[in-house]
Amino acid sequence: MSKPNPLQINFCGVRFENPFCLSSSPVGNHAEMCARAYDAGWGGVVYKTLGLEKSFRVVMPSPRLNAYNYGDKRVIGLQNTEQITDRPIRDNLRDLAWLKKSYPNKVLISSIMGYDDEDWAELAKMSEDAGADLVELNFSCPQMAHKHAGHRVGQDFHAVEMFTRVVKNATRLPVIAKMTPNITDMVPVALAAKDGGADAISAINTIKAITNIDLDSFTPMPDIHGNSAATGFSGPAVKPIAMRFVSDLYNSKQLNLPVSAIGGIETWIDALHFLLLGATNIQVTTAIMRYGYRIVEDMIEGLTDFMNDRNIGSLDELIGQAARMIVDPSEFDTRHQVVAVVDPEKCIGCGQCFISCRDGANQAMKFNAAKRKVEVDETRCVGCLLCKHVCPVWDCISHKEVDTLTTRHAAIF
Amino acid sequence: MKTNIDPVKISEFKCMREPLSLEAVIRESNRCLLCHEAPCSAGCPAGTDPGRFIRQIRFYNYKGAARTIRNNNILGGVCAFICPVEKLCEKECSIKALEDPININGLQRFVVEYGKAFSLEPMKVSSKNMGHVAIIGAGPAGMSCASSLATLDYDVTLYEQEQQAGGIARYYIPAFRLPEETLNDDITNLLSQGVKISHGKNLTYIGTITDLMKRGFDAVFISTGLSKPFRLELLEGYINVTDYLSFLRNIRHDFTAPELKNKNIAIIGGGSVALDAAVSASAAGASRVYLISLEHLKELPADQEEINLARLMNVIFKAGSQITRVVAEDKQITRLTGIETDWKEPDNYHPSNARQIQGTEFSINVDLVVQAIGTCPDDKITRFARGVEIMGKGTIVTGSDFSTNLPGVFAGGDVVSGGATIVQAVGDGKKAAESIHNYLNKRRANQ
Ligand SMILES: Cc1cc2nc3c(=O)[nH]c(=O)nc-3n(C[C@H](O)[C@H](O)[C@H](O)COP(=O)(O)OP(=O)(O)OC[C@H]3O[C@@H](n4cnc5c(N)ncnc54)[C@H](O)[C@@H]3O)c2cc1C
Ligand SMILES: Cc1cc2nc3c(=O)[nH]c(=O)nc-3n(C[C@H](O)[C@H](O)[C@H](O)COP(=O)(O)O)c2cc1C
Ligand code: SF4
Repeated sequence: MSKPNPLQINFCGVRFENPFCLSSSPVGNHAEMCARAYDAGWGGVVYKTLGLEKSFRVVMPSPRLNAYNYGDKRVIGLQNTEQITDRPIRDNLRDLAWLKKSYPNKVLISSIMGYDDEDWAELAKMSEDAGADLVELNFSCPQMAHKHAGHRVGQDFHAVEMFTRVVKNATRLPVIAKMTPNITDMVPVALAAKDGGADAISAINTIKAITNIDLDSFTPMPDIHGNSAATGFSGPAVKPIAMRFVSDLYNSKQLNLPVSAIGGIETWIDALHFLLLGATNIQVTTAIMRYGYRIVEDMIEGLTDFMNDRNIGSLDELIGQAARMIVDPSEFDTRHQVVAVVDPEKCIGCGQCFISCRDGANQAMKFNAAKRKVEVDETRCVGCLLCKHVCPVWDCISHKEVDTLTTRHAAIF
Repeated sequence: MKTNIDPVKISEFKCMREPLSLEAVIRESNRCLLCHEAPCSAGCPAGTDPGRFIRQIRFYNYKGAARTIRNNNILGGVCAFICPVEKLCEKECSIKALEDPININGLQRFVVEYGKAFSLEPMKVSSKNMGHVAIIGAGPAGMSCASSLATLDYDVTLYEQEQQAGGIARYYIPAFRLPEETLNDDITNLLSQGVKISHGKNLTYIGTITDLMKRGFDAVFISTGLSKPFRLELLEGYINVTDYLSFLRNIRHDFTAPELKNKNIAIIGGGSVALDAAVSASAAGASRVYLISLEHLKELPADQEEINLARLMNVIFKAGSQITRVVAEDKQITRLTGIETDWKEPDNYHPSNARQIQGTEFSINVDLVVQAIGTCPDDKITRFARGVEIMGKGTIVTGSDFSTNLPGVFAGGDVVSGGATIVQAVGDGKKAAESIHNYLNKRRANQ
């Protein structure tokens, strides 16, 4: 291992030994936890969002969480009702200072949330004094019990700009604005943060959601003494939505700020997806809640191997590579179409593709009941490839390209 | 494992444990609970750490998984094919409380193959500046000890009497259970660490331990295994009686050899080796293969996987019985007479505890009798390792750190345990390497 570490990266002028960080949440609740995360290999920690108890005293409800399960897959998403830290500011600052002193080469990011200008400024100063390398502004917690905080701020362009400016004036540290996905378009909010002086954007915080309902009491879950709410949803299920927002941010020429990606990241492949969509930094919570800090070992080793195998010396060579291919759907090439191709050798005759195509596509799949094999009617296939996605044999159905200038295709009437 | 086998076709299939598809690997690794302080890892005598490599698979870190196996177990490829996992890692699997255990050896086979196909970086080569160690016997124990010592930068020479390294795995385990290529791959890894193997040298040629030390070796590890099969007195002196080692060595690769076609063969014994002999005989076209064991079916020490295979191969189990008499013509056994047995005391499977059940006599016609009732070390050791403490059956006595009574002389594997498994021998070799390192460190400190 004499090669230089390909994972090291600069984000907002700060060097990270790898881009993998804890995102602000219970996984970085106090010093002892963060220390174990650093020891496990995480390059940075975004500490649990700080607040000032003199302005607002946080009391968490319980049960705090509910899982979203699908079939035998447990926790494909996680709903939480957690607010910012419920620990006294003094303890948190002492922890931050200890962490920086004990781990000078690791990156320490202080996440903060104020309720007015003074709070924001005070928290920013305190973070800097405690030794944080960066500050992240939490404009995005969807379940703050305080009426003027969290994602309500994050949906208000003016407030985002104002509070960002207050913080920029209070500290010399680089400032990351953390966005809520509970909004139609994230770019204008990010631009407001930029106008306020933000150095980077992080996204996404959790998505307001309801995950289940108890069928005896008719109470949505988590059932908090008879009530519930649409609250923050995270984990693998939100990754596609997070990927969309991250690429939106990266592709905005006007914004042109580094992006820290958050949302459903568990493996080096998930992280790589976000890097390819433009992220320079990676944050994780739910996967750690589920599997522990140890998952970073596989993120580091997996991504390093991927890069070494392809002779990629630095993450910069990957960042944004896939974002460039994202265009407005109006720009798609519709002259070239595809049709499904079934490998009769691999077909096990279950007929799932037949049912899906018959009832959910264009009735192009023919089922030979005697042989229990399917066959594609190319004159009817619109090339949606629903069949391929439902087929239990992963490499049985593929597709081939059709040039509609020379060959008739069912997608074009 | 394969479940539908045409007995005559066994020689045609490459391996009893088939490879897992990528889909199956993903499914299986997703079933894993990724336990805290994984019990499967604690269940592996060689410290292969399945808990870790399954987690690495689960998070798509396939090369990392391959590294874990290669670094922890130099015979990781071999073990994935022949470990009795149901008694080791998979026995400890937490998910057994809910459903079937994780197919750990299947995942291991996949990852070892993956590491090869996507070329893992070469292993670290020993700088050989930590001293010289001689290892006698290049079986699993010797190879594992050599690998660990090379990692610690020792200069290691393996002395092996056979033409090739591998020990039992090379010459006796049937090819349908262990592909030769897998063993070769593991040995290639070992050699890449800068370990030397000196072939065809048996103990008489090497001389004694004192001679080796005089030649500049700082320590010696003895891992000569077991090579002298036990024999039943009742079967002494007949021509058509053999032992499982000779039998398996001949038949291992070639099931088409004509000698066994349409013959009746009796195997005496109920362990894994007896099952190997029985299945091989059946595969070679024997007409009736009997397995005669004192243990009843559910008591057989062989693995369930092997017992299932033997059943598929139409082996006739005479479980819970013993041979009482031999009918012979011209030193050639033609018939065995036996009787069913029971145990006097429960849970004691020693022959002296067997009780014959009157009125259950049976007799079978045989062309060949194969004894598979155990082995002990070769007598040569006593001469080579003069002064090393040896037990009644010829096994070497060591402490838990694998040191013998002579300073600088260590031993491990079957020659100490009296017969265990490959993975146990690998574990012994690793631990012995640590002890040798500690011993030499102390010696260096005192100089
Ligand atoms: C038929 C059979 C099937 C088995 N199946 C399995 C199985 O499926 N799974 C499993 O885990 N275990 C199995 N075992 C047990 C396993 O093979 C042994 O436990 C293991 O090989 C022991 O390793 P070892 O290194 O101690 O000894 P060995 O494998 O016996 O190696 C000893 C080596 O020392 C060499 N040697 C001996 N004397 C000298 C000398 N004088 N000079 C130089 N070299 C010498 C030998 O040639 C040999 O290469 C099986 C055993 C047998 C016999
Ligand atoms: C229990 C829980 C508590 C959280 N608390 C905070 C918080 O205090 N501050 C914050 O900025 N984000 C908070 N988040 C959001 C996460 O930091 C992250 O943005 C989100 O969970 C998406 O990432 P993930 O899918 O990796 O969990 C919390 C998330 C969870 C699940
Ligand atoms: S996870 Fe821990 S804190 Fe939460 S309910 Fe269970 S025991 Fe209590």
